[in-house]
Amino acid sequence: MPTLDVSYRDLCNLIGKRIDREELRNKAVMFAKGEIDEINEDEMKIDEKDTNRPDLWSTEGIAREIAGRYGKKGLPKYTTEPSGLVVKVDESVSKVRPFTVCAVVRNLNITEDLLIQTIQLQEKVAGTYGRNRQDVAIGVYDYNKIKGKVNYKAYKPNELKFIPLEFNEELTLSEILEKHPKGMDFAHLLKGKEKYPIFIDDAGNVLSMPPVINSNYTGKVTENTTDVFIECSGFNLDALKPALNVLVCALADRGGRIQTVDVIYKNETIKTPDLKPKTKTANKDYIKSITGIDLSDKEIKDLLEQARYDVTEITKNEVKVEYPAYRQDIMHERDVIEDILISKGYNEIEPVPVSMETKGSLLKPQGITNKVAEVMVGLGLQEILSYTLTNKENLLKKMERKDSPICELENPVSMTWSVFRDSLLPGILEFFSNNKHHEIPQKIFEIGNCIIPDSRSETKYRDNLSLACGITAREVSYEEIASILDAFMRTTGIGYKFKKTENGIFIKGRCAEIINNGRSVGTLGEINPQVLNNWGIENPVIGFEIDLDFVFKK
Amino acid sequence: MYQLTDEGKKYLKKGLPERRLYELVKDAIPIKDAQKMIDDFSIGLMWAKKNGWVKIEKGIIVREGVVSDTDAEKGLKLVSEGKTPPDKIASLLLDRNIIKKDKTTALTAARELIGKSITALTPELIKTGLWKEVNMKPYNVEAAGKTIYPGKRQPYAAFINEIKNKLLELGFVEMTGPTIELEFWNFDSLFQAQNHPSRSWTETYSIKGEGKGTLPKDSIIKNVRSAHENGGNTGSTGWGYKWDEKKASKIMPRAHDTAISPRYLSGHSGNVKVPGKYFSLVRCYRPDVIDATHGVEFNQCGGFIIDENLSFRNLLGVLKDFVMDVTEAEDVKFYPDYYPFTEPSVQISAKHPELGWVELAGAGVFRPELTEPLGVKQPVIAWGFGIDRLAMYKLGIKDIRYLFSDNIKWLREKTVM
Repeated sequence: MPTLDVSYRDLCNLIGKRIDREELRNKAVMFAKGEIDEINEDEMKIDEKDTNRPDLWSTEGIAREIAGRYGKKGLPKYTTEPSGLVVKVDESVSKVRPFTVCAVVRNLNITEDLLIQTIQLQEKVAGTYGRNRQDVAIGVYDYNKIKGKVNYKAYKPNELKFIPLEFNEELTLSEILEKHPKGMDFAHLLKGKEKYPIFIDDAGNVLSMPPVINSNYTGKVTENTTDVFIECSGFNLDALKPALNVLVCALADRGGRIQTVDVIYKNETIKTPDLKPKTKTANKDYIKSITGIDLSDKEIKDLLEQARYDVTEITKNEVKVEYPAYRQDIMHERDVIEDILISKGYNEIEPVPVSMETKGSLLKPQGITNKVAEVMVGLGLQEILSYTLTNKENLLKKMERKDSPICELENPVSMTWSVFRDSLLPGILEFFSNNKHHEIPQKIFEIGNCIIPDSRSETKYRDNLSLACGITAREVSYEEIASILDAFMRTTGIGYKFKKTENGIFIKGRCAEIINNGRSVGTLGEINPQVLNNWGIENPVIGFEIDLDFVFKK
Repeated sequence: MYQLTDEGKKYLKKGLPERRLYELVKDAIPIKDAQKMIDDFSIGLMWAKKNGWVKIEKGIIVREGVVSDTDAEKGLKLVSEGKTPPDKIASLLLDRNIIKKDKTTALTAARELIGKSITALTPELIKTGLWKEVNMKPYNVEAAGKTIYPGKRQPYAAFINEIKNKLLELGFVEMTGPTIELEFWNFDSLFQAQNHPSRSWTETYSIKGEGKGTLPKDSIIKNVRSAHENGGNTGSTGWGYKWDEKKASKIMPRAHDTAISPRYLSGHSGNVKVPGKYFSLVRCYRPDVIDATHGVEFNQCGGFIIDENLSFRNLLGVLKDFVMDVTEAEDVKFYPDYYPFTEPSVQISAKHPELGWVELAGAGVFRPELTEPLGVKQPVIAWGFGIDRLAMYKLGIKDIRYLFSDNIKWLREKTVM
């Protein structure tokens, strides 16, 4: 969710009306799907919740949406005229970054507000919508420094030199990727390419190397700039066009004049930006059934106009609308219906309770968990809950277990939380190790899922409900844990036998398998002092673990 | 009450075997020498070791530790003087066959108490009625009791149980799914585009290894594919890209509870009745940086209601009732929101007396691009609660990590009411 820095004064100027801060927070900002995170005298942070509407990720976009509900109704009008500029796309870019769409915006009064907002919008659109410049990269340039046409062409890494933004020496393309901070940040997007894409004018001045860096000459926009050239580059024209529209409309909202550019591909020439409104038709019965509100034609028209639609026709059954070209999120009439509801104001709509008689039920594991917990609590043990994520060190090494197949994360945030537990006992020991300075005896249990590799499962792993228990005191005895297990098994009505076994977790000769219906369903015993040393535990520990899914037949 | 056995009498005279062994050892002595020099050697060695007086190193018995009078020695002396040792010591001596119970002695002892002040009321005093002739010492009944800790449920586990019971009362049927899930159920069936940023490496975990699971039946796959590519029969334009079955069959830890709903709506994991109310409450995993409001893993509680005529107003009604009921909040507020799988979408916040407005749930009407490919014709209103937040709200916890507290002191002291 993009978070935007917005100036309160700038926002009100763009809306064309001063809205007091409380009203902005509690009502107006919701029209733009935003939430005010912070508001100072002038600086605000607004969380934009719609990750599918880049048109809302700027002060201009938010203002446009709010203004609709404060009088500026209907489709915002944007006109274009030809700039005469030509961008020639050379075939050499087809293997690197094949597409671009471009525009010119003139007569700008570049203020600090505009500069800050344009940079922010450019970053958010290329960052979030453009997936960190991979799908969409955006460049803004001083139009008056461009000579002749702009060529979009690929060059070999050492074939060309230019001064990258905020540098004062010429670097080759490969040097830029190695030395310039932005070069290093985005080098991975050009990794393995034989040639790198370049925007360059007829005079041989480089505009930029997308998606990495602008040149310091053409690619630097200051408060003295009046006319800008904008390009978006990437791999899919349908993704690039809305991004360009979002940018030029924001600049037009600040008084810029939008001009089109002819982008010449091998087989066709396209004229961008295309700001012709798009159309959609919504069924009136459908509007009524989804909203749950009986709206008159007039109300529907008014609410849609507030959301910056034009209603071109309302028939007996349908509403035909036009919506702005900067919106690419409208896929279904549902999307139009949401805008009707937002105009209405979610908190102005009377909620209707659902009066539906259905019979509820819980799944078996919750019932098992509750009953098992009741018995364990009755035996005087404290329940604990731990994370299902842990690490190999705790799960295997400290437990003196052999390496066994477990479910591992490919991209953990921290190695501490990098594998899923396949057993609960390590968690019991971890707990004792974290509580060695607290009063003993400590008697605890946990009921929870373990993640077990299982090739027959549709997702290759299955969840397995287990119970583990542990007791630590100055003195413990095998008999005590055997009695607790026996009490548990008798009370829950599960038959069992003990069978002598050996493993690294327990002391040799003080460990048994729990056998139920001929199958081993768990182990119990006194913990191996080597394991206690591994965990830094200073008092003896007894414990058991048992597979609840098996004994209660999931 | 007790008298010495023959063995006890012998020990009284010669000393307990462990004492004799300890004296014999001085600094160190080979086992085989000690064996010859002392009777009851093996008993003596066992107890001397247990008491931590000696240890054995390569066949040599070595002294260690500081030796004071043991319980056994104190008990032996008391019984020989006709006194009664504490129960714990008596039972130790009984186990070692050093003393035996003497019923006549017990009775005699009871008679001796006549006219005296006693602390412990004995079975003999009760049976014989002699209790009427003794004076039972009053205790300091205003002194605080010794601290003991009862067994208890973990507070968060108890809260989860409470929420499930509340939903049960409201007529919801519980659903579940595997912790390790297919991307198909977690994303694709929910109409989340395959190139959506939330499916990237930094936003979701993936599992090491080959990681391919089994996709559901072809008809479901076919419908979901066309919903993504061009909208299919749903009246939508779709996302307009080439949908990749291989990506959908990758496995991942479930990132949200909503992954479970399409399993049921499609009939893959269970059948949905219309009208019907369904919910799940499960652990979910996202690569967040861990802090006071983001745990290593988190619980989500979500669900849906399906019926012929359900609207956005019903959704607001369900949310408001449930939140007011669970949180006892004075007021709730709705915010427009965005989720790839619902439209219209809404977020609900509740007003906490101290914390202010707290964001509790996201909800919406499932998109037709989700329901129709799964064969569902009716409107489905769906919601998901960050149940961890709700628990913090209810348990008055400021740091989310306390929900999985590893501090026994906190668990012991947390009240259950």
